[in-house]
Amino acid sequence: MTEGASGVRRRSVRRSVLVADRIADQTIRIGGVLVIAAVLGILVFLVYEVVPLFKGGTVQARQSFALQEPPKDIAALTLDEYKVLGVTVAMDGSITAFHARTGASLHVPSLDLKGKKVTAVAKTLDRKDLAFGFSDGTVRFARVAIEPEIIPAAALPQGLTQLSDGDSTDGVSVFSVIPGDQIRKVTAKIYLSDEIQVSKTGSPIVAMDYRSAGPWDSPRRSFVTVDGQGVAALNRVVSKKNLLTGKVSEKVVSTVLPQLPQGAPVSYALLTDNSDEVYLAEKRGRVYRYNTRNPQVPVLAETVDLLPRGVELTTFGFLLGEKSLVVGGSNGWLGIFFRLRQEEAGTPDGYGLVLTRKLEPQPGSITGLDAGQRGRLFVTTDGAGDIWVRHATSQRTLLRLQPEKDRGRVTATAFAPRGDGVLALQEKGGGTFWDLSIPHPETSLGSLFGKVWYEGYPEPSYTWQSSGATDDFEPKLSLVPLIFGTLKATFYSLMFAIPIALLAAVYTSEFVHPSVRATVKPIMEMMASLPSVILGFVVALVLAPVVESWIAAVILAFVVVPLALVFAAHLWQMVPAPVAIRLEGLPKLIIMFLCVAGAGGASYAAGPLFERLFFAGNIKAWLNGGVGSAAPFLFLLLMPPVFFAMAMVVPRWPGQNPGRSAGGEERFKAAALELVRWLGLLVAAAGCSYALALLLQEAGVDARGGFIGTYVQRNTLLVGFAMGFAVIPITYTLAEDALNAVPDHLRFASLSCGATPWQTAIWVILPTAASGVFAAIMIGMGRAVGETMIVVMASGNTPLLDLNVFDGLRALSANIAVELPEAVKDGSLYRVLFLTALVLFSMTFVINTVAEVVRLRFRKRAMQL
Amino acid sequence: MVPTTTKDRSEGREEANPRTPPESRSTSGKAPKACSLSARGEPFLWGFGGSLAIGIMMILGFMTLILWNGIAAFYPKPLQVVTLRDGTLVAGEPIRTESFQPQEESPGKGDKEHGESPSAGPIPALRTLYRIGNFDLYNEDFRWVLESSVEKTATPPDLFFVERLEWGPFVGTVQSIDLAGSQIGGPSLSTNELYSAVEQAAERRAGIRSVERGDIAAVNYEMEEARLALKKAGLKYGPRSPEYQAAEKGYADRSAVLAERYRALEARAHELKSQDAKFTITLADVSGREKVQKLSDVVRMYPANLLSVFQKLRIYASRWWELLSQEPREANTEGGIMPAIFGTCVMTIFMALAVAPFGVVAALYLREYARQGRMVSAVRIGINNLAGIPSIVYGVFGLGFFAYMIGAGIDGLLFPERLPNPTYGTGGLLWSSLTLALLTVPVVIVATEEALAAVPQSSREGSLACGASKWQTVKYIVLPRAMPGIMTGLILAMARGAGEVAPLMLVGVVKLAPELPIDHFFPYIHLERSFMHLGFHIYDVGFQSRNSEAAKPMVFVTTLVLITLIAVMNAAAIYIRNRLKRKFSAGGF
Repeated sequence: MTEGASGVRRRSVRRSVLVADRIADQTIRIGGVLVIAAVLGILVFLVYEVVPLFKGGTVQARQSFALQEPPKDIAALTLDEYKVLGVTVAMDGSITAFHARTGASLHVPSLDLKGKKVTAVAKTLDRKDLAFGFSDGTVRFARVAIEPEIIPAAALPQGLTQLSDGDSTDGVSVFSVIPGDQIRKVTAKIYLSDEIQVSKTGSPIVAMDYRSAGPWDSPRRSFVTVDGQGVAALNRVVSKKNLLTGKVSEKVVSTVLPQLPQGAPVSYALLTDNSDEVYLAEKRGRVYRYNTRNPQVPVLAETVDLLPRGVELTTFGFLLGEKSLVVGGSNGWLGIFFRLRQEEAGTPDGYGLVLTRKLEPQPGSITGLDAGQRGRLFVTTDGAGDIWVRHATSQRTLLRLQPEKDRGRVTATAFAPRGDGVLALQEKGGGTFWDLSIPHPETSLGSLFGKVWYEGYPEPSYTWQSSGATDDFEPKLSLVPLIFGTLKATFYSLMFAIPIALLAAVYTSEFVHPSVRATVKPIMEMMASLPSVILGFVVALVLAPVVESWIAAVILAFVVVPLALVFAAHLWQMVPAPVAIRLEGLPKLIIMFLCVAGAGGASYAAGPLFERLFFAGNIKAWLNGGVGSAAPFLFLLLMPPVFFAMAMVVPRWPGQNPGRSAGGEERFKAAALELVRWLGLLVAAAGCSYALALLLQEAGVDARGGFIGTYVQRNTLLVGFAMGFAVIPITYTLAEDALNAVPDHLRFASLSCGATPWQTAIWVILPTAASGVFAAIMIGMGRAVGETMIVVMASGNTPLLDLNVFDGLRALSANIAVELPEAVKDGSLYRVLFLTALVLFSMTFVINTVAEVVRLRFRKRAMQL
Repeated sequence: MVPTTTKDRSEGREEANPRTPPESRSTSGKAPKACSLSARGEPFLWGFGGSLAIGIMMILGFMTLILWNGIAAFYPKPLQVVTLRDGTLVAGEPIRTESFQPQEESPGKGDKEHGESPSAGPIPALRTLYRIGNFDLYNEDFRWVLESSVEKTATPPDLFFVERLEWGPFVGTVQSIDLAGSQIGGPSLSTNELYSAVEQAAERRAGIRSVERGDIAAVNYEMEEARLALKKAGLKYGPRSPEYQAAEKGYADRSAVLAERYRALEARAHELKSQDAKFTITLADVSGREKVQKLSDVVRMYPANLLSVFQKLRIYASRWWELLSQEPREANTEGGIMPAIFGTCVMTIFMALAVAPFGVVAALYLREYARQGRMVSAVRIGINNLAGIPSIVYGVFGLGFFAYMIGAGIDGLLFPERLPNPTYGTGGLLWSSLTLALLTVPVVIVATEEALAAVPQSSREGSLACGASKWQTVKYIVLPRAMPGIMTGLILAMARGAGEVAPLMLVGVVKLAPELPIDHFFPYIHLERSFMHLGFHIYDVGFQSRNSEAAKPMVFVTTLVLITLIAVMNAAAIYIRNRLKRKFSAGGF
């Protein structure tokens, strides 16, 4: 080729070809990189969705202001749901209302308490309802209702004063612009009830608590009062409507609680919503718990000191749901107590207060507690003026807020009903409003992976329960039961699938004719293309009832099938060599088929007998632990190890090795001897293991409660079996490929040295292919870990932490499939489910990477051989 | 067995292969020096072989179970009338007979009272499950009948099995039919008259349906479109703009016209229905309780005990046709699965369209363009790894990324008038296809890479030496040769995608889709719609329905259809591979 020629050629390359080449080049490069990046993107995206779970809260905005008329002696501070209106009620009944973000004051009429001296104030959890106790032993109820109203933009009145962007006022209500061309008008309305004389002696009310439900004009009210003489009473207001006049008459039903010890200075009182518990507390930390489940006969159930000596009780209140009792001390100590069933506490009602959560202490004495109205968020204020936003379940301190120091002590705080804002007022009329964003307060590494002591639980536990029937439900988001469920399903399915897959692979690769292999392998691979939803459906709907009524036969099959195979093998050894050689290959495989099928049939037939002998005639009752003894099952368990141990120990006797000059006669004799030896060993092992089982039973060992136990229709055994269909083909194919990839010259060499095919397979082929086989197992395991539909359908989806093979489980994958469709986007559950997916991703990623690396190494080695 | 034995024997003579049976080595008659029995490991071998046998039996048993139940599900069964000892009559299809251990004799509590008496334990008894139908009369579909309580069993010829639109089947006799006033009953009612009445009723039903689901649905669709157009104008120009005023006026006119049409259609539907309601049939169950039924509610009826094999086959075929062509009814447990088949196919095709270019491009890049090194082999490990990532994780990703992130973005940009109802911001056909494409992309990449690697290097070198550019080489030499492998990979990916359910539960499959993803309304292909899927149908019908026993035949036939679909795809993969292999193997270097 001359230069000229090439020059001509170059010129003749069409431009379009070059352009196409360049475009293709770029497209393929970019496309390829993109596809690979997309794949990494999955991981990145999952992490991106999960990270917010572990972030605390953030302060979105902070606004400080000074009130024009600073309220004195604040009894209660209320903030509305939309965080626009703050209302304080002072001890003298005067009311100050102001715009929560600017402090601009609004006009709201004050409560007319007729100049009486208020000695005790109680408020409900939502801070809407107040009760005042007076020095003359009377009580009045008040309600500060902040009512929103949506009006069209056109109906906005004229002449409003602008407060901040979006908010304006007419001096009474706050108008806010909301999306959709509408205006929200928020107005505070005040109600006050008539006086009710509670203390018979006219002694001042020193402590009270109040619960109210229903609308203002026909509420259900209950309240507890303690007067100056130490008389505590539980009161319920019964309102009756006169049908003729329409007038509502109220009657107070009072129950005097059992007498407190003389001179106990009660400062705090708490009442539960359905008034079945009353707590009275002294400043020194002594708490009197009354059980008022039967209001006619209240019982002083418990007297307990919650704080160490010398620490003053400064905060005493419930969180949402009234199961968590928050106790704060003058030294900044903060803890949560539950009322739990405690037989050993010796209380009349069998319950006792237990410290379950110790929260991070604050620098100053805890002076204020504000419980959130959604979830277990709450705010504590200390004497030093720090305001901490905490969550009870995760025990996290999410935010530490500090108002301006120069405006004095914090006199009142209000936590926004949605948990997204805090309003604090200070002594010198200063006020600060924080706009918060705390999307996922309930999750922390501890609450997701550690033991948490949930409300109402007798001890810390790993629990998954993402939703409940009531609003005050505490979500329990521990991933441990799910991870355990996945591992349990994987373990039991691998126990079943791996032996079958590997042994079948070795047999296919080494002991059958290639033509048989060519039909057998596709059949096994056909299993792999069965959609798992079909496996799940057949196993859960068709097989589960059958297995349930034939559990004993199924257990028996695990014993009979191996025995039958070994027995058949011993018989086979007695078959004369020429016949055996003729039948080698497919006929032998068919005999094995018949053998397995026959063993299966035999176990089916003998199932009831087996049940009667081993499980007292009723296996389900036996599994429940009701009937029968542990020994028979222990015997079954001990049998294989004892047999193998004995087989190791007992030597073969000389006549058994026909080897040297094996004629047909001698061979038969040897085989017969072998059979006798096997049977003998079997009987001996049976005797030994039965004796051992009896011993163990005496020692109190019982498999029930361990890995067997109460039978549930959808259980792990079925999951394992169904998963077998998913795991066996993939493991089988890969292992068979690995064995097959061992070069033939190794086989030739081994066989020509006089090794039998069995010896060749076990000592030459298998070790060479070991890493490939290992990779096959790992990939099978990866499949089992991630399998979803089978677990969803066959496992019962109960998030439990037990090993029982006859009980259900809930796996990570099934949990996602079941719960994600209902999870609110970007909610905590949603992100926790993403975390679940990430855990699943990581588990399979590790397993697959190990498998892949090992497989590549194996491939390299096989190439070199 | 004989032929296989001979075959094997003939093959046994081919001593050349080292993996021929173990004993072949000793056929020479000369025994090896140290041959103990343990060296042959016979018991272990049987364990190995037994495992293989168990594996094969599992798959064969499973397939037999599905095929048998799926194929037999629609075959009409005889109807029996069982007289119990207490005089009650039970009529129905016998479903199955099983032996069970009566629990009422030894419940957990009873055991303690009886003391330890395992020998006197429950004796297995026989019981038969009957499909008694008549749910509206009995409040149950199925009933177990104890063998010991049966006095006599009969198969009366006048018993009909009536499949109805609602309440499941009816088992009983036909008393009379009322054809708009002319009552025909008793012996004067011939079977032919009955059948023709049922056929006419079916036509009326189709007529009502075409008005309700066709014309009225179209009017509703147009009304919704008009409303959305108005809202869109409002969002675009603001509510006080002249454009919006004009749109408002247009909307008012349009909706007036549509409302008029709607009223007319509704009146027509009403008239058809009231006409139809005059045609009734009176049925009576075995104990004489009567039930008057609209004739058009009868889907199919037959005297089960009088049918010839040919007639049974006709009913069998008509049931299959109904399955494949009709929409489901009665919470999916009856009727057809056409939408599910359609949804599965459409989703799989879209998935293939998405996965093919990306998979092939990625494989081309890895094999032909990227420099082979540590990086590329790490990427390969990554890709193999992805094939093992659980499908549900892809579902989570699809939901979070495609539907909630990208979909919500699309909604905000293109369909603001439909908000807050999501269009693309929720699961749908597009997101399902893309999710499954992502799931199956490793399969395609691996298969394509293998196919590309199998193209001899000499072909490429030859092409390049002839002056072809790289792209020309790839396009004209490498890709055609790798085509069989690529196609196989793609079809296998489709087979995998078609059977995958878990991720679809998150990204767009529903139990009942009101509309098909492809219809005659512009833009014809509605990628945002959720759809039905065979696999999910199995899950839903089998697990979420009122009576899993009644749903079983449906689940089995759906399973059969799904397996057939997947088997056809796998077979197609094998066929295409073989064909293309033959086509290209001729010109090898």
